Amino acid sequence: MRKTILTSIVLATVLSLVLVACGGGTPATTTAPSGDTSGAATSAPVAVDSPVTLRVLVHQNPPMVDFMTSFNESFMAKYPNITVDMSVVNANDLATVTQTRLTANDIDVIDMFGFSNASQSYMKNVDAPNWQQLIDAGLLLDITDEPFVQNYAPEAIADAGTYNGKVYEVNLGRVSYSGIFYNKSIFTDNNVAVPTTWSELVAACETFAAADIPCMTAGGADGWPIFVGAYGLIGSIYPDQAALAEGLWTGAIKWNDATSMVMWDHMKVYAQDMIEDGATGVGADAAAGRFAAGLAAMLPAGTWNASIIETAKPEFEWGYFPFPGSDNTADNQYLFGKYDQGWVIAANTPNKDASLLYLTEFSDPDNYQAFANAVGFIPTQPTATLNTQIGQEVAPFLANFRVGLEQYWIAPKGAGQYANPWATYFVPFGTFEDAKTLADQVQADLQAGLDANK
Amino acid sequence: MSYYFGRGRSKFTPYLLLLPGLFFYFLIALGPSIATSIYSLTDATGIQGSTVNWIGFANYKEFLFMGQASRDNFAALGRTLKFCFYVTTIQFAFGLIAALLVNQKLRGVSFFRTLYFSPVILGVVIQGLIWSLFLYPLGGPVSKFLDLFGVRSEFFGGPPNVAFAFVMVVQIWANMGTTMVIFLSGLQTIPDELLDAAKIDGANKWQTFRYITWPLLTPVVNTNLILNVVGSLQAWQLFLVLVGYRAGTQVLGYLIFAQGFGQTSGSMVNSFRQGYAAAASMVLFVLVLVIGLSIQTILRRREIKLLG
Repeated sequence: MRKTILTSIVLATVLSLVLVACGGGTPATTTAPSGDTSGAATSAPVAVDSPVTLRVLVHQNPPMVDFMTSFNESFMAKYPNITVDMSVVNANDLATVTQTRLTANDIDVIDMFGFSNASQSYMKNVDAPNWQQLIDAGLLLDITDEPFVQNYAPEAIADAGTYNGKVYEVNLGRVSYSGIFYNKSIFTDNNVAVPTTWSELVAACETFAAADIPCMTAGGADGWPIFVGAYGLIGSIYPDQAALAEGLWTGAIKWNDATSMVMWDHMKVYAQDMIEDGATGVGADAAAGRFAAGLAAMLPAGTWNASIIETAKPEFEWGYFPFPGSDNTADNQYLFGKYDQGWVIAANTPNKDASLLYLTEFSDPDNYQAFANAVGFIPTQPTATLNTQIGQEVAPFLANFRVGLEQYWIAPKGAGQYANPWATYFVPFGTFEDAKTLADQVQADLQAGLDANK
Repeated sequence: MSYYFGRGRSKFTPYLLLLPGLFFYFLIALGPSIATSIYSLTDATGIQGSTVNWIGFANYKEFLFMGQASRDNFAALGRTLKFCFYVTTIQFAFGLIAALLVNQKLRGVSFFRTLYFSPVILGVVIQGLIWSLFLYPLGGPVSKFLDLFGVRSEFFGGPPNVAFAFVMVVQIWANMGTTMVIFLSGLQTIPDELLDAAKIDGANKWQTFRYITWPLLTPVVNTNLILNVVGSLQAWQLFLVLVGYRAGTQVLGYLIFAQGFGQTSGSMVNSFRQGYAAAASMVLFVLVLVIGLSIQTILRRREIKLLG
């Protein structure tokens, strides 16, 4: 019996030790270097002598993924010791996957959207955005002194990649999400000119409807393409989006005041009359494909869709114009957007040299130009040119490029689920039929949050 | 005197042998649960290395009492109960009917058992993809069928109540196989002699089911009910895959995920709030505990009454 007890104790102990070992920290071989890079960062990346697997995370954006696949092959051919293992996740999951893989020290180079939504002085009791949380936790590498940072425009580095005076991200380009792609053949065949006012847009859609052509398609299955598609409409009503965010917080602007009601009335027409029936089941990428196939006259969407359209049907003739949400032409001259994809490096990466080499190579002006051409971003490297078709389309409006509301806005805690200017609240995507009822609900949900933080 | 576990030191052997299992239980189940209850009293973000501050019951106060968001949380709670009621009732009934059908001694019955059970082995993403294609509003098979009757539906992308109803359908389809298999295992333990005796006594099929089969199924009825209730109260993955974070469709389980991983209600900004999500988890835990224990008590009494 004593032998049995002894055996049991030994068994339990061994099992416990095995389990503890399994559940323990990082293996010694991947022990992280310090996140503090001061001193080392001024030197150029050193060569990588031993075989390294570089783990790269990007979000799903077909032209970008295609370019990165090609770039990775070239990179690996040039640096045979480095194998790039690239993971692609849905844009909605990027923040979650970034957090979990950074925490698990399972990633080296990460695609992260430009820094935005920082807390403003007029905001109360708001949480730091996730990029700031990650930096505060010491999970992103300080790349301030890395030579490749100098390849990018200082304002892009300052606006989209700097926090507390240190650079953590090189941002790769701006995108506009407030324009509308249009099918030139359909417009010509139906004698419709590019609309410059809301009334002209409505009239154009009526013409297409009479010809049994869906006016617009959009990725309703993903939700966001519907309300993002109407960001230009919001911008036409409130061209100064930073002031809009502040006005909503301070109470100077209300979502149900007379000015906002114009926006909601137009948004109802957009959601219910302009977007094609059945768009609720169409994914974001599929919507671009439907547009390229000539199944709808227009696609209200971000500039990043240009590459998808060109890939789907290279000979297709299309154009891009700012969403004319107002009947005053001057209000419709703006393009709203954001800083899109950027690169950050995990502070605890065991492959720091390879990571820096990767970004150095990527930031080479020739490679960056190829990237900008492929993806259609408005470049953040001053030497890069905007020689894509989407570049030509947006060029006339670039002087009027503005950062959109979503980049400034943080809802107060306690605000309800309708506290956003989203077209998806209207039937058929949501439950609201009446613009005034919805506007009152949106303002009430926002006000509840503002009141809760007084 | 009887010695269940031997005498002397040897009586400790079974407890020692339980240690590995208990260790796993603490590591995987109880440990995280305790950690969650502690996290719910902090402002933890879930990010390694971030500062964690003790904030008492502030997360609970915000979840239950702060502004319209708290009222939305209660609405999500109500929706969770509604989801639980319909899913449990329908899944239970369909699972029982399917089990009775595939318990027949007929040729090819194994095929139908496999067919009914097959959705269970599919991942949630695959289940979601299948149904997204099946219910595609622009020419999907169901859409085309409904067109014949002049009926149109936006399915998962439509108004919240419609999307919510279709998620219920998928949830039932995805999990009915498990309910069926548990019922089937119960049906196969009923001795043929009892059924034969009932037939000789002149009992029709309904009477046989009502007075023989159903009482003897009591243990598996209880198991199935508890599993269905707890499973539906905790459901969230299908909402993520099929509907996403949309006003009027969230259940508590999805709300917790959204709060914890940066899809804050009423906000366009992503912040990680795992302390707050932990508080919401504790609310869900209490809900599951109260409902689960109540049902278990009632079912236990019924079992004792029927089977002794």
